[in-house]
Amino acid sequence: MARPVQFFLNDRLETVEVDENEILIDTIRERFRLCGTKEGCRTGDCGTCTVLLDGRAVRSCLILTCAVEGKHITTIEGLGNATNVHPIQQAFVDVGAVQCGFCIPGMVLTAKSLLDENHHPTEHEIRIALSGNLCRCTGYEKIIQAVQLASQRMYP
Amino acid sequence: MKRDTVIGSSLIRPDALAKVQGRAPYVADIKLEKRDCLIGRALFPPYAHAKILSINTSRAEALSGVEVVMTAKDLPGLNGYGAAALDKPVLADKIVRYQGDPVAFVAACDKKTADKAVALIEVKYEPLFPQTDPKENLKPETPLIHEDHPMSKGTNISSSWRVERGNVIAALSRSDIVLENDFETQIVDHAYLETDSCIAEPDPVTGILHLITQGHSAQLNCRSLAAAFGLPHSKVHVTIPIVGGSFGGKEDSNLEVSVMAGVLALKTGKSVFCEYTREESFRNTGKRHATHSHRKLGATKEGILTAVAADITVNKGAYRSIDPIPQRMTMYGGGVYRVPNALVEARSVFTNQVYGCACRGLGVPQAMFIIESQMDDLARRLNMDPVELRLKNILRDGDTMITGQAIKKSQGLGLEKCIQAVCERIGWDKPLEQSDDPSIRRGRGIATIMYGTGTGYPTDGAHCFLNLQMDGSLMVGIATAELGQGGIIAMTQIASEAMGIPYNMVSVNYSDNHSSPEAGATVASRSTVFHGNAIINGCNILKDRMLCCAGQILGEDPRDLDIREGIVYTRQNKERSIPLTEAIKFAFSSQVPLTTTGSWYPPLNHLDPIMGQDTRMHTYTYGAQAVEISVDIGTGIYTLDRCVSAFDVGKAINPMCVEGQIEGGVTQGIGYAMMEKFELRNAMAVTDTYHTYLIPTSMDLPKLETILVEEPNELGPFGAKGIGEPPVTAAAPAIRNALFDAIDIPFYSLPITPIDVLDAIKKKKSPVVNRQERAATKNLEK
Repeated sequence: MARPVQFFLNDRLETVEVDENEILIDTIRERFRLCGTKEGCRTGDCGTCTVLLDGRAVRSCLILTCAVEGKHITTIEGLGNATNVHPIQQAFVDVGAVQCGFCIPGMVLTAKSLLDENHHPTEHEIRIALSGNLCRCTGYEKIIQAVQLASQRMYP
Repeated sequence: MKRDTVIGSSLIRPDALAKVQGRAPYVADIKLEKRDCLIGRALFPPYAHAKILSINTSRAEALSGVEVVMTAKDLPGLNGYGAAALDKPVLADKIVRYQGDPVAFVAACDKKTADKAVALIEVKYEPLFPQTDPKENLKPETPLIHEDHPMSKGTNISSSWRVERGNVIAALSRSDIVLENDFETQIVDHAYLETDSCIAEPDPVTGILHLITQGHSAQLNCRSLAAAFGLPHSKVHVTIPIVGGSFGGKEDSNLEVSVMAGVLALKTGKSVFCEYTREESFRNTGKRHATHSHRKLGATKEGILTAVAADITVNKGAYRSIDPIPQRMTMYGGGVYRVPNALVEARSVFTNQVYGCACRGLGVPQAMFIIESQMDDLARRLNMDPVELRLKNILRDGDTMITGQAIKKSQGLGLEKCIQAVCERIGWDKPLEQSDDPSIRRGRGIATIMYGTGTGYPTDGAHCFLNLQMDGSLMVGIATAELGQGGIIAMTQIASEAMGIPYNMVSVNYSDNHSSPEAGATVASRSTVFHGNAIINGCNILKDRMLCCAGQILGEDPRDLDIREGIVYTRQNKERSIPLTEAIKFAFSSQVPLTTTGSWYPPLNHLDPIMGQDTRMHTYTYGAQAVEISVDIGTGIYTLDRCVSAFDVGKAINPMCVEGQIEGGVTQGIGYAMMEKFELRNAMAVTDTYHTYLIPTSMDLPKLETILVEEPNELGPFGAKGIGEPPVTAAAPAIRNALFDAIDIPFYSLPITPIDVLDAIKKKKSPVVNRQERAATKNLEK
């Protein structure tokens, strides 16, 4: 059964009519055509569909759209754009953390969630935070360096 | 004038910013902009081997929103496609040979409707016994997996190869030591994060079918599929946008969704989007081949290798796909060592399982696991340090591989440097610090590898289109796919340097079979060298033309001129110069063409299918990897504490990208060693999600330490060699050897999971001791 849901998507109040079993990733991609949220598995394993829900990194394939009533959802499009690059994004670019790039929007948002809470995470804390986001290209080495660099630049 | 160069500079890749911002479109993202696209889905069988008795599609066709339902009788062209042989049916006709053979396709208005329709298709099967054991399938009385295979007639063998040199039997009988072991390696999945997807769009005006898809070569996709569409190659337009990881898999696995989208689009006259779910991608698409090897290694008591004899059987699965695995496993049968006598034979055998395809390393990870494991067994037998044993036997300038190919320093031979570099970094000469925890044993292991650049086929070469613009910028049309490796930036840097223009004036048009020439695929660690050399060749042609024009303007001999940063200048007098654009305008007005084709191919290699004595690759990348591990002997859980890798890449065109290739490849090798295993029951996939098929996470890895060694390849662009695949090959034996060191247990199959370690510890009769304890015991005995 369809029902209306209101929530903030990248700081804009949106209203959508969704089926009760519609998951957030489909709402974001199919209805709002925000393609930065990637689908890797739909089983909550890979983390490529990570978005921020009230600032915390969550998997949008594991969340019913109905459940985000009144909440703030941030997708990668809400973090920066071509002329206004977020420091975490810039750090990923600068250290060469991007290869195929499919996991990267989710990684960046997970890093954002971490750095908001912990301005100066240790390497171990970064590894723990990123451990739910799979990457098959990089071995995580440069991704971890990127988070460290972003931390230094954002919270000197 | 200071000569600035972009070669060796870690320039930022042009796709990076769009990717970190989620603006870079992958195939499924492009589909979001196409509202009227139909969704295609397939029905797969519940058996790995079965006869199809009947198919009833009437209920599916009656469902509202369904555009078309197709079975094998409805196809527009040949019911067969594939990268090497057109042996994979578009739709299963009468028989299914593995669980990924589609029985029917549906195109509908949306995914929900398409899935519903698929569920309404009624198929009657007669299940057959799944023939999963390659050794059984080799027996003459065993039924054929393919009654009429286009390449393998009357046999279940897909491909075979042998390398023979010297007299193995005599050499083994004279050897002081002969080791004899059996090795097993498992099936693994590429586990690329972007699942397989394709948009097919028929053009009603031209009759062209446009595929927006994934792959390693737009031309290869076209060649593999055109017959199934009943179209000439010129009417199959393939474009490959950025790809979300592939590692060999999408070289042909992606053809499954492409052929589905294509035939549905031709049938309906509408655009069709097909995308595998993660489960379908795991179940259906190609994998790294499982292998069984029986290997004998002979040596003198001084530790000099005398002979190797190996017999290798590769589980091919249901279709041929990409299959030089027997060839690769035999040519590298002697590893990085001088072995004067060799007989290595291998064959791949059809079974009713998911097919083996190209997977980063193409048989070499399997080969190196076997060879490098046995080297440590030999070191143990000789009571010799594993590094010392290797240094006694490694290939040096002028030595020959078991294929008879002489290894030349001029090709870049940094093997010893790599070994020295990792040993120095990890402190091989110092004793490994043991843990205070009595349940922990620590160990150290090393492995050394080599890996050729290019496919080694006599047909291997590359070409590109170059199109100089009036403003001095350059368009490069090239058949290299951007799979994440950094191909675009590497090609940009090479073109910039070769043409003498700033790198931001170079635009690389990648992966479009209508705007780039056939040039082989983005495989075999070949793009930087092959395509890079083709670009240099083309740039030199254009440069010569422009220098002639500039010579006329300046009144100078063109041979005295050069181009840097878009300026044509006289070498003797830098003041005498003109902008490159002046020369281009002169050329244009004098009917001198501004376009050309650049080409390159390595020295011709004559293959020897009888003895395998040939010169497969024009250059080899070398590497060494040393690791330290800690094993909990109570649980079997072991952790990788350090991982140091050194690879001789000839010349790193973009060091940051090269490091990224190494770190990622090493990590895949670590997964191969420690956790990854694609499991089947009755030939049906069991591990079809990321929670059943595990790949390394950030918590499974130590800091990855990478050292670049640069021993230039005289034939490479600025000295470069390939680096895409070599890094994946060393981790498994290095970790295996570290386990041997830590707990004194040699393993002979992959992966080595904590359960395997615990089982082995339980079976062990003597106490679990590490190298230092063993040494101490030996001293006591003395």
